[in-house]
Amino acid sequence: MTEFAQAIILGLLIGGVYALMASGLSLIFGVMNVINTAHGAFLILSAFLTYSIWTATGLDPLVAILITTPAMFGFGWLLYSGSIRRIREAPAAASVLLTFSLALVLEGLMGLIWGNTSHAVRPAYFNQSFTVGDLFLPKAQVYGCLVAIAVLVALWLFLARTWTGRAIRASAVNPQGARLVGVNVAAVATMTFAIGVATTGAGGSIVGVLYPFLPGSHYLWISRLLGIIVLGGMGSLPGAVVGALLIGVGESLTSTYISPQWTTAVPYVVIFLVLLGRPQGLLGARLREDVAAV
Amino acid sequence: MSRVLPRSPWTWLVVAFWVVLLLFPVASSDLFFQNMIILSLVFAIGAVSLNIISGYGGYVSLGQSAFLGIGAYTVGLLSIRVDVSPFVFVPLAGVVGAAFATLLGVIAMRTRGHAFVILTIAFLLLTQLVLLNWPSFTQGSKGLSLPLALFDPSIQNWPFYYALAALLALSVLMSWRIRRTKLGMGLIAMREDEDKAATVGVSTPTYKILGFVASAVFLSMAGGVYAYYLNFIDPRGMFDIVISVQIVLSMLLGGRATLWGPVLGAFIIEPLNEFANQSLGGGNSRLLIFGGLMALVVMFMPQGIVPFAGELLEKRRRRGQDAIVGARVERPLVIREREDAPVGHEVQPGRALLDVRAIEKRFGGVRAVDGCSFVVPEGSITALIGPNGSGKTTAFNLIDGMMRPDAGEVWFDGRRVDGLRPWRRAHLGIGRTFQITRLFREMTVLENVVAPLRSFSWRQLNADAVSGPEAARAEELLEFVGMRRYRDEKARALSYGQQKLVELAQVLMLDPKLILLDEPAGGINPTAIERMGEMIRRLNRQGTTFLIVEHNMPFVLGLCDPVLVLARGTCICEGGPEVVQQDPRVLDAYLGEDFVLEEVGV
Repeated sequence: MTEFAQAIILGLLIGGVYALMASGLSLIFGVMNVINTAHGAFLILSAFLTYSIWTATGLDPLVAILITTPAMFGFGWLLYSGSIRRIREAPAAASVLLTFSLALVLEGLMGLIWGNTSHAVRPAYFNQSFTVGDLFLPKAQVYGCLVAIAVLVALWLFLARTWTGRAIRASAVNPQGARLVGVNVAAVATMTFAIGVATTGAGGSIVGVLYPFLPGSHYLWISRLLGIIVLGGMGSLPGAVVGALLIGVGESLTSTYISPQWTTAVPYVVIFLVLLGRPQGLLGARLREDVAAV
Repeated sequence: MSRVLPRSPWTWLVVAFWVVLLLFPVASSDLFFQNMIILSLVFAIGAVSLNIISGYGGYVSLGQSAFLGIGAYTVGLLSIRVDVSPFVFVPLAGVVGAAFATLLGVIAMRTRGHAFVILTIAFLLLTQLVLLNWPSFTQGSKGLSLPLALFDPSIQNWPFYYALAALLALSVLMSWRIRRTKLGMGLIAMREDEDKAATVGVSTPTYKILGFVASAVFLSMAGGVYAYYLNFIDPRGMFDIVISVQIVLSMLLGGRATLWGPVLGAFIIEPLNEFANQSLGGGNSRLLIFGGLMALVVMFMPQGIVPFAGELLEKRRRRGQDAIVGARVERPLVIREREDAPVGHEVQPGRALLDVRAIEKRFGGVRAVDGCSFVVPEGSITALIGPNGSGKTTAFNLIDGMMRPDAGEVWFDGRRVDGLRPWRRAHLGIGRTFQITRLFREMTVLENVVAPLRSFSWRQLNADAVSGPEAARAEELLEFVGMRRYRDEKARALSYGQQKLVELAQVLMLDPKLILLDEPAGGINPTAIERMGEMIRRLNRQGTTFLIVEHNMPFVLGLCDPVLVLARGTCICEGGPEVVQQDPRVLDAYLGEDFVLEEVGV
């Protein structure tokens, strides 16, 4: 029983971290209908940035979020303006191919800069734990999850309370309508992409502490994040959170009761099952396809 | 795209390619180039195959290297257990690949664009993971060593070389054949507009599965040959997503949806791959080169080399000629009698061909259609009118299967159809045009008209679409709507009114018993409206029943009987044109209660 509770708690803790990054991915999809397959590569880039900051200055990686988040926001802004904006009118597949090629380029660049070896960010609390009864709560996981929740709450408040946030949500629901009421949809798209990428800033710093990483790790991460948003319902932010927690727990249970080497299979199997049984995901709505307005 | 390649320069290039390819090993003993061509052939088979689901069908797959790996492992695993030439297992590799593709196609049946790409990536990484984590069967990350090929040294690698050349020839032949059949038309239609394709009888799930299987079979077989050639395979090398990217890139660079573009692309990409591996140390530079190149192609040359060159040639050829579109737009549209009647079924005037019983459709809190019931008598031209937002188009969507009702029943020709998918309803005889025309934009006018599938059968899928009886029939229908001279123009080049006419011809290809027309007179000029009315009458006399949504009242009242009036999602009134015109409920629905109150007060 303890083992089970332990697995659930660890799953939820890591799920909280997944939720942050998956929200960014889902936000980008919801507003722009673009699957950012470079999301995993952005995440690893942020982890490497954290690594460099940490080795150079000794700054706590979770504090480094204050640097990596704006850095990734700017990076996302530049990438969008320089590349993805060009293909806004192209068929949907073009954006997947473009973001995936960006991921490959980033992987290659990171390999050149940091090398293709495994890296890890190890602050002092790296292998310490809180103990609650029989349960161990690794400090890194707890801090990481708390920071992720804090950033996620900030993101939600931004989307719910600010004019820009409402413009982003309006563009997601109905771009034509948003344009009619004075939203600059093109600018909102750039903003959305940058915000979505910014979630990998915080996410990457946390991931750098929790897992070893190398440039090629981005495949693993993008699969996991895609599994999450497919499960939760593509474009749905609550779906991204629910999906993240479920995948986190699913991986943790698989690791405990089957074998750690099969944990990476969880997102793939989830993608298969969801697309077979409920293609719209758990919280994704089947939207009215307005035949007349196409 | 749908361009028929100009005969002369292309044909000679293709012939030259095959001559050089087939004679090269005989003429030169250079193993470096032989190796490079062998690898190029593998890429070319991959790209030509991928082109069927991605170029024609519009579904991009980043998981194609999984099929290469599945083929390789099928041959590898068998050849270390059974002591015969591994070539024996190559056909089996094709079967296993096809089986996996079918499985994946079934999963992908209900998904659209984005989810499909995700699925293919997941499939690739999962198969790789299974092979890695199952060492008792696959030897895991250690990989497999296949038996050494002991050919006579004088023939070097010829068996691999010619086996792959034969597989490439087969893939190109398959691609050529599919492009000419109803299957190919359906795949392209699906790429252009999947929902619309369903309404003209294209059973999209079947097409998707077939397209996916077609893009896996020869690649899996090539994987088998490739494994034997390499002598050693491991999951990371074979199921490498960068190989998938290179296959996609070969197709894009050469020209998607063309016959030879993917081959050309592969023979560019593979040598580049050799260069990256040999001179730049592989690894990161390979990622930079192929990632960068794909980004550039997607952004700056999405159509690829072959269509790009084709456009240049076409421009040169057409210089000095009048463009058809534009030059003759002002000419009146001529309607001619068709030789055979468009429908061959028995018409029983007056019986209820379409019977809509209390259907409901809600969007959130809005009841777009709210307990609507009506009947369309066979042989009639029935109108469905009502103010904007009264639920007319939604009613159409419920009848033709674009949407499913939340409650109620739809009966057509004596059977209940509300649970059927759109293509099944099209096969039963329901045809539908759209308020805003939805032609397949990148297809020619003729291809648009041959794309519909009247009924589902395997023979029909394999039927020739661009020549023979299907094409002849399509030309007849184009003649009928007066659009025959535009048969080779791209649909996107037509004016709105012309598109309406082609869409009508397209629907007629289904031999429909009932045609739903959504605003046939909307947005076209008065002469064309008149001709549209004349065509509808003519088709009606030949036995086709019509249900028409239209706001042009003179047109409706002059053409239709009975007239159904829809308001707030229900049918409030029906009868002859004169009856409906006088009905106070209709005035109320159109003009509002205030108006009626004043009338009453006066």
